[in-house]
Amino acid sequence: MATAHAISERNHRLAELLSKVALGDQRAFGDFYRQTSAHLYAVAVRILRDAQAAEEILQEAYVNVWHHAGSYVAAKSQPLTWLTSIVRNRCLDHLRRRELDTVTLTPDDDDAPAIDLADERPTPAELLLAGAEARAVRDCVEALDAGPNQAIALAYFQGLSHGELARHLNEPLGTVKSWVRRGLEKLRRCLDAAGGSR
Amino acid sequence: MNLSRPDRRERLERLAAEYALGTLPSRARMRLTDVAKRDAAVAGVVADWERRLAVLAEAMPGINPSPRVWRGIVAQLGLDSDRAAAPLSWWERLAVWRALAVVAFAVAVVLAMVQLSREPVAPTQAVVIVLAGPDAKPALIATADRGQRFLAVRAIGGTSAGAGKALELWALPDGGKPKSLGLIPAGGLTRVPLAAPAETALAGIPTLAVSLEPAGGSPTGQPTGPVLYTGKVERFY
Repeated sequence: MATAHAISERNHRLAELLSKVALGDQRAFGDFYRQTSAHLYAVAVRILRDAQAAEEILQEAYVNVWHHAGSYVAAKSQPLTWLTSIVRNRCLDHLRRRELDTVTLTPDDDDAPAIDLADERPTPAELLLAGAEARAVRDCVEALDAGPNQAIALAYFQGLSHGELARHLNEPLGTVKSWVRRGLEKLRRCLDAAGGSR
Repeated sequence: MNLSRPDRRERLERLAAEYALGTLPSRARMRLTDVAKRDAAVAGVVADWERRLAVLAEAMPGINPSPRVWRGIVAQLGLDSDRAAAPLSWWERLAVWRALAVVAFAVAVVLAMVQLSREPVAPTQAVVIVLAGPDAKPALIATADRGQRFLAVRAIGGTSAGAGKALELWALPDGGKPKSLGLIPAGGLTRVPLAAPAETALAGIPTLAVSLEPAGGSPTGQPTGPVLYTGKVERFY
């Protein structure tokens, strides 16, 4: 289990590598890839459930790192956070674009392929707790009611949309939407109060 | 749409949160991306949400991507592949940092096992692989006669894949991609069938590895889960 201390050490190391990458240091770029690619690939593959699409998105993301390492260094955010956001956004754009096509063709999206989450381990809820633990924001996550907690974990780790969440949790769409909205509001208040905004 | 106006703050927070979480429907998602490109205040709120939520992903266990990805990056950027120091694949990494320790340990374990079992080693028992984890504790021992078409695999201690998972055995050829030898059935002493007699099936294979895969085995034909154990193929003939 990664501790908060280990994570901050890693972020520091990665930030150093990135500033070298910004200067065109190819060896630093290779090191940076070695230290981050397994994490980012795990994020992408969980959301996309498609190894080939995940590999393509990973490749694009690192090409982007090579070109824009300088702007990262200027922005001074946490390197892994920055990169995780890039990869997640690309995955979600990919999913939602596909969904847009499907929705246009078949407004009744009960036809969407069923998603089998049964054999996944650890479960999204467990991951949510593990990540939160590492950041000492466990309290915030535990403070969420069961419904919002589950909905947020599934959306974050599996990339499920409102409609997919409703089907997966077997709840009306309106309930799920309000779980997500209220859960996020509560999470924000709690994380900010806990000093999560660094 | 001027989302950064103070009276729209609440709405902006909601949109940014759902964008970062990924639940914002596709059209709204595209619109917010456009607005954030033009409006730094909006981009800032989105970035705050991404940072808050990214904390959640930090403890996620990693999965090594195929070496194809790095090769693709180097090719696309036109980098000098020597200077960019192509990352070692996971089995090469394992080979580098553990080769010596594991070999020494494997030999010791085989000797210990022979002594403890007080059984003479059959002269035909010619291939032995002790598969150990990073702590160098043996987890599985595989043996075969050179002419035998299966590996006898003995699990040591409580070695098992857990519910909904499988242990998959891989042959790691010198300088080649891992080749699946099949799943390791649950149980104390089991057999993994080989396509040819052990002598042929394991020719040119210095190392075996075991990865944790979904039930039914790797969906890609290459290891997708963590590598739990590796072991050197020791030939006694």
